[in-house]
Amino acid sequence: MAEPIYTVSEATADDKNHPLLPEIAIGIDIGTSKCSVAVWNGSKVELLRNTRNQKSMRSYVMFKDEMPWGGVSEVLRHDDREIFSSGAIFNMKRLIGRMDTDPVVHSCKTLPFLVQTLDIGVRPFIAALVNDVWRSTTPEEVLAIFLVELKAMVELQLKRLVRNAVLTVPVSFSRFQQTRMERACAMAGLRLFRLMPEPTAVALLYAQQQQQQIHENMGSGVEKIALIFNMGAGYCDVAVSATAGGVSQIKALSGAPIGGEDILQNVLQHLLPDFESFCSNHSLENIKSMASLRIAAQDAIHKLSSQPVVQINVDLGEEKKISRSVTVAEFEEANRELFERCGKLITQCLLDAKLAAEDLNDVIIVGGCSNIMKIRNLVLGLCKKEDSYKGIGPLEAAVSGAALEGAIASGVIDPSGSLDLLTIQATPLSLGIRSDGEGFATIIPRNTVVPAKKEVLFATAHDNQTEALIAVYEGEGKKAEENQLLGYFKVTGIPPAAKGSAEISVCVDIDASNVLRVYAGAFLLGTKRAVSPFMEVRMPTLDDGHGWCGQALLKMYGSTMDLATIPKKIHQ
Amino acid sequence: MSFGILPSRGGSSVSIRSPRKSQLPGADVCHRRRIPAAGRRPVWPKGLRASCAACGPRAAVEEGGAVGEWRRTGSMYELLGIPMSGSLDEIKRAYKQLARKYHPDVSPPNLAQEYTRRFIEVQEAYETLSDPSRRAIYDRHLVRGIHFAFSARKKFDEEVEERSGWKRCWQDQLEGLKRRSMNKNPDDDDDNDDLSWGARMRRRREESSSSVPS
Repeated sequence: MAEPIYTVSEATADDKNHPLLPEIAIGIDIGTSKCSVAVWNGSKVELLRNTRNQKSMRSYVMFKDEMPWGGVSEVLRHDDREIFSSGAIFNMKRLIGRMDTDPVVHSCKTLPFLVQTLDIGVRPFIAALVNDVWRSTTPEEVLAIFLVELKAMVELQLKRLVRNAVLTVPVSFSRFQQTRMERACAMAGLRLFRLMPEPTAVALLYAQQQQQQIHENMGSGVEKIALIFNMGAGYCDVAVSATAGGVSQIKALSGAPIGGEDILQNVLQHLLPDFESFCSNHSLENIKSMASLRIAAQDAIHKLSSQPVVQINVDLGEEKKISRSVTVAEFEEANRELFERCGKLITQCLLDAKLAAEDLNDVIIVGGCSNIMKIRNLVLGLCKKEDSYKGIGPLEAAVSGAALEGAIASGVIDPSGSLDLLTIQATPLSLGIRSDGEGFATIIPRNTVVPAKKEVLFATAHDNQTEALIAVYEGEGKKAEENQLLGYFKVTGIPPAAKGSAEISVCVDIDASNVLRVYAGAFLLGTKRAVSPFMEVRMPTLDDGHGWCGQALLKMYGSTMDLATIPKKIHQ
Repeated sequence: MSFGILPSRGGSSVSIRSPRKSQLPGADVCHRRRIPAAGRRPVWPKGLRASCAACGPRAAVEEGGAVGEWRRTGSMYELLGIPMSGSLDEIKRAYKQLARKYHPDVSPPNLAQEYTRRFIEVQEAYETLSDPSRRAIYDRHLVRGIHFAFSARKKFDEEVEERSGWKRCWQDQLEGLKRRSMNKNPDDDDDNDDLSWGARMRRRREESSSSVPS
């Protein structure tokens, strides 16, 4: 044992920062429009830059040439016009794991690349224009190509292999969407240590800063409540966290797929009322005009955050021309509904956390949309605060939090105690099963602390029913179909009896690594003895086509294998 | 929502005679002497105060974090290692401390499963005690010696009504009475309600495998 077996030959000379540390998982924040990577460098979180010295890289993959390549390396820089020329796929995060009946997928049809839907609840068809031919791909594949490039860039800089990563995801991502992210990572050769809801990554960063302040001035360690508002190009997330002594507890989460992309579309709609039909025609001439329009609208939105009025001039060809001014008031009116939805997310989150605006110590506003005045004012107004928390970079917050989590999860111990942190996560969405026809019976409500385990009894819906279908859904809709189907299985051998008298137990378990398992089985009449061994099913089991599947299930088995919730008054 | 805070069939969850249980209010009194400010707990039946002197040191041990035993011995206060007079701040602090110990993210890998279960129990204790109305109900039960062996198994309605006021309170009392009467005449089908979830599942499996000839 003359030499330690773990000597890494690659880590030498200029690599003074991390020679003998365990392999530290990197933090990745793939945004709808921008992406960044960070890693714990031994003493703090460091954002990594690409060869063009950018910390924040555009999330897209260009398919124009035979070898697709993305926005990470950008050896040859693509400008907006090229990216919007249909040869590139972007906004992957808005498409991944969504069905073709999803309104978010439908809003993507106005993007320059091709998004085709059949509206039956299967994966949408997406394609990029390569040599004047639409070449098909999938959101997972695009994301994987992007991640491969990202990984290569990080490996070059860290001078070591990178295998482990912590990724941030929006709060509103379903477990099905999460599996799609996992698949993309697997395709890129990355092992996912954890998927973190974006605002909880910010909460972790905040907890670390609070902890440091306490170390510095020997503070009291009083619990601090923070509201985190994170709005990027694709998603808007809100979280309320309670932080004390390095433990940050997520009190509540809320989120929706609304973001800068919707703001852009609203402005486009304002400029060109028939823009949807205009964009749906993907002819070569049209693509060019669409690109011009998009660039002009983007530019206008940026300018409107610092000036009261902006002039827009776009030539759409075929004698169509837009030449007009847009004021801040017009901009805000065009997005009124969107701002209202953002407001609702905040009120909902406070309500779920059982807290009032007055209880908040800090309001943290991050994400690409954080510089839109209207949004800042809205958030601060609802939280009754004069100003937001300073000390967290709005564009680097989530990725820094992910890198912290990566270091913690990799078992790095910092002598100064700045990694002595713990986040207690909560489930962002309710979990339950279909019952009473098309109803949805919640078993684990949203904002339940993870790990969690809950069991609920159900009864048969028909006389002498011997089989029951357990269809597991995730979401907040009152009807099962409004939620995301995660999987299904059958419980058989139910003892024949009058409807409502046979009992079926359904237990939902989320373990420490956020893995969801559903256990179910029937009891012998009048006892708590299982008829046959319980079923244990890891969810989601679905691979694709869940909308399609849900409807088929309902049609085939809905009436015969239904379950009923047990009203308490009747029981015992 | 409970996962066997309460112990196995050996320890009857209801017996008021159990010395362990009478300790609790006593511990509270002891504590109140030291910190007069915390005085909003319900008034204890006189008989219970007597045990105060005897329980003092043991209570202190439990405050010090003798958590290893709580699953067998008892109350959510013991679980969190705080006196019954504990303030909301104390509850929060105790919860965070225990979370740092039992949260699966920080637990030793070989103990992850065990600690996950404990974390869920700590979480439940925290959620109950940090909500004034739920804490009041719990305290009432504790005084009467009825433990909160809410079964993890629930009717759907109960789950929905989980946090709603006085109605819940009535139901709890009824449930408590029912439970007491059940324990007087133990019916072998129901007495496993007090087992942890895992234990019940195992038992169910055993039962089913023994009942189904293989």
